[in-house]
Amino acid sequence: MFAEATVSRSLKEVLAIVGHVPFRVAACLIIIGLFALAAVAPKVLQTHDPLAIDLRSSLQSPSIAHWLGTDQLGRDLYSRVVEGAGQSLAIGLGATALSMSIAIVFGVAAAISGGVCDSILSRIVDMLFAIPTLLLALVFVTVFGPSVLTEVIAVGISTAPGYARMIRGQVLAIKGTGYVEAAKVLGHPFPRIVWRHILPNAMNPLTAMMTIGVGQAIIWASGLAFLGLGVAPPAPEWGALLNAGRNYVIYAWWLEIIPGLAVTAFALSLTIIGRHLQDRLEGKT
Amino acid sequence: MHLSNARSTRQFTGKSDYPARTVKVALLVLLGLSQLPSSIHAQEGVAGSVKRGGVIRYGHFQEPACLFGGWVQQWYLQRQYSDNLVARSEDGKIVPWLAESWTISDDKKIYTFEIKPNVKFTDGTSLDAQAIADNINGWLSSAPDLRNPTAAPYLSDSFESATAIAPLKLQVTLKVPFQPLLNVFAQSSQGILSPSALKRGLAVNCENPVGSGPFIVDKWRHGREVTFRRNPDYNSAPATAKHQGPAYIDGISWKFLPDQTVRYGSFIAGETDAIYDIPAIAWKEANSRFPLLRHITGGTPLRLALYTARPPFDDVLVRKAFAYSTDRKAAVDTSFLGSLPFEGNGALSQSSPEYLPELGQSYTYDIRKANQLLDQAGWTERNPSGVRVKNGNPLIVRVSYSNAFLKPDGEQALQVIQQQARAAGFDVRLQPTNPADFFAGKNLGPDDYEIVLLYWVAPGAEIFRISWKPDQKGETNRFNPSRYQDLTLWDIIQRAEQELNGAQRVALYQQAERKIVDEAPVIGLTVLDVTLATKPNLKDVWLDRGSVGEPVFYDAHFDDGK
Repeated sequence: MFAEATVSRSLKEVLAIVGHVPFRVAACLIIIGLFALAAVAPKVLQTHDPLAIDLRSSLQSPSIAHWLGTDQLGRDLYSRVVEGAGQSLAIGLGATALSMSIAIVFGVAAAISGGVCDSILSRIVDMLFAIPTLLLALVFVTVFGPSVLTEVIAVGISTAPGYARMIRGQVLAIKGTGYVEAAKVLGHPFPRIVWRHILPNAMNPLTAMMTIGVGQAIIWASGLAFLGLGVAPPAPEWGALLNAGRNYVIYAWWLEIIPGLAVTAFALSLTIIGRHLQDRLEGKT
Repeated sequence: MHLSNARSTRQFTGKSDYPARTVKVALLVLLGLSQLPSSIHAQEGVAGSVKRGGVIRYGHFQEPACLFGGWVQQWYLQRQYSDNLVARSEDGKIVPWLAESWTISDDKKIYTFEIKPNVKFTDGTSLDAQAIADNINGWLSSAPDLRNPTAAPYLSDSFESATAIAPLKLQVTLKVPFQPLLNVFAQSSQGILSPSALKRGLAVNCENPVGSGPFIVDKWRHGREVTFRRNPDYNSAPATAKHQGPAYIDGISWKFLPDQTVRYGSFIAGETDAIYDIPAIAWKEANSRFPLLRHITGGTPLRLALYTARPPFDDVLVRKAFAYSTDRKAAVDTSFLGSLPFEGNGALSQSSPEYLPELGQSYTYDIRKANQLLDQAGWTERNPSGVRVKNGNPLIVRVSYSNAFLKPDGEQALQVIQQQARAAGFDVRLQPTNPADFFAGKNLGPDDYEIVLLYWVAPGAEIFRISWKPDQKGETNRFNPSRYQDLTLWDIIQRAEQELNGAQRVALYQQAERKIVDEAPVIGLTVLDVTLATKPNLKDVWLDRGSVGEPVFYDAHFDDGK
């Protein structure tokens, strides 16, 4: 009886939450879920081997046999886009995680230390901020060579200054709040205050930004791959697919449009979800 | 081989290395002289009916760092503003250009050129024998501002001096005979530049070189275009040209449009009048809609150079196994959509006079043979991924390439090769490298690759000297990425270069060609071509035959009064 009541209440709560989720956000969640499935278990969704060359099926337009058509070497484009989700998502998540880690170190250290140390760290961030993201990433990949890891590091470092500046602002604001002052008066050790009170509250508004950041990181990484600085062929990373498809855009539109749609759908979905989260956290909905 | 010491001279305007050359030379001189007035007359007639004016908007592929130099992308540009000592006609004959005629001593060591009178560089400097001698001596000097990276590797072993023995008489003296000398002089990279301008230093000349050609470099907007304007005083067209005097058009807007889709799109949209390198996918359509020009370059084909100085390709069996394991013809046919033929002869391009057609289908796909050869070479085990292993080392083949040398379609062909070779147990890993890094040597170090994709254009088999000269006195031949050192091969090549008899020289070059294909330090992939699409109203554009097939806009004109 007690268990039934709990389940019933939980179900109601879930339904209530789902009921409050706008349709566009729900649609985006489904899209992200499908891409996540593609990244984790691509074989579940694939209809062909994404690397299998079939010279007799070269440049076939979308059909029942090949849902999204084939490329010049007869490889199934749908299966390649599914396969590419893993690398693209790994780059997006990895780069955002790296970027956040760097930003937290710089932002928190600058805000907490204050004075000369704050000035120095803030100027370093300002200098990095002055360098265009793509240029910084290009230099990094050029020096260390193209691979998934270097793409993650390049995009992570390049996007870190923006987050660092936001975190510094958040920490500065929270540092002067009453509950932090109260913790100090109560004699809590300063590292504990940072860990228990400052960081969690500073990170809340950044959750939404991180969500948007993953999509943005994928776009940056795709840009690098499009410029030929991504992973080596025949890896079907989305940017690499875009790069390969541009030579056939007049005669085989699907090679350019489909990977472009994948990047757009994923980044847009994350952005919509991120905005929704932001609104929820700010109490607007 | 006996060389006569007598230095009697014979004048001619064509290649002199065939039997009974005295009679032929005399006939050619007479033929040349008899054609001269009628030729000029005919050209005046053409000029009379040709509408002058207009600027050709030309879309090209790559932008070099300097407007002259050793890379073919620089030759295309240099062909527009400089003249050569001699020209090479479509049938491979050497014909007059700045040199009206020339004689060669019996021992083939002294070339004496009669220089065309009243020619000036566009900075006003006289183009005389001294100016040309200064150029040639500079090419072979150690001065970085003057040294010519194309001429030097060809001539450094044979060249002795270039001297002006009269204001319009140039003498080039060799230490040993070098029969391809005139072919080398006919290449655009050996265009003669103003010695006065060269004194300004390389940096200035790279931006604003001065020649005596039909066009003058007006401005180079980096990343966008080079603009050329007509040289109004031009009077030194080659014998291969269709008219004499200044060009018909006012100038050229030489735009750099590296993306082939953008380039072709600009042509279809009417933003360019001519473009370089038609994309494979548009080849059929372009053929049906526009006049196309095509030249298969001489020298080497686009080929896979296998690093032979260490395992696994130090073993000729493994080299051959790799060649047999890949259906390169299918890879080329599919990737280039039939626009570019397969070339199995890795030694020499099919447009080279010494080319052996029977080598064009070398190492056709035979996976059984590939497996047999690998077993024979001791690569008998396989790891769980199916890659062959020997002494614990997997059979990894790293392929370095750059889109400076490889069209996007070529990269697709490499992916086919990558997959096919896997069936035989090769783990092929592609190493795409951007042009800047590639030229800086990235992925090209001794331990960086097992295969590199390269080509070298030349009129013919003289390319063997560049590719296969062994390292000497501690000096590495950096043009030999295979690191294949074969003194027997080098001896055959040198004998060919010094052979006075044309037929015997060709036979020697072909002997070398067979040896190269048989030892497989290089494996052919596809011919290298130059294609040009022009608008129907743009007439008389042609491709030079020096070696590369540079577009020549000197005779070009618009026929709609543009």
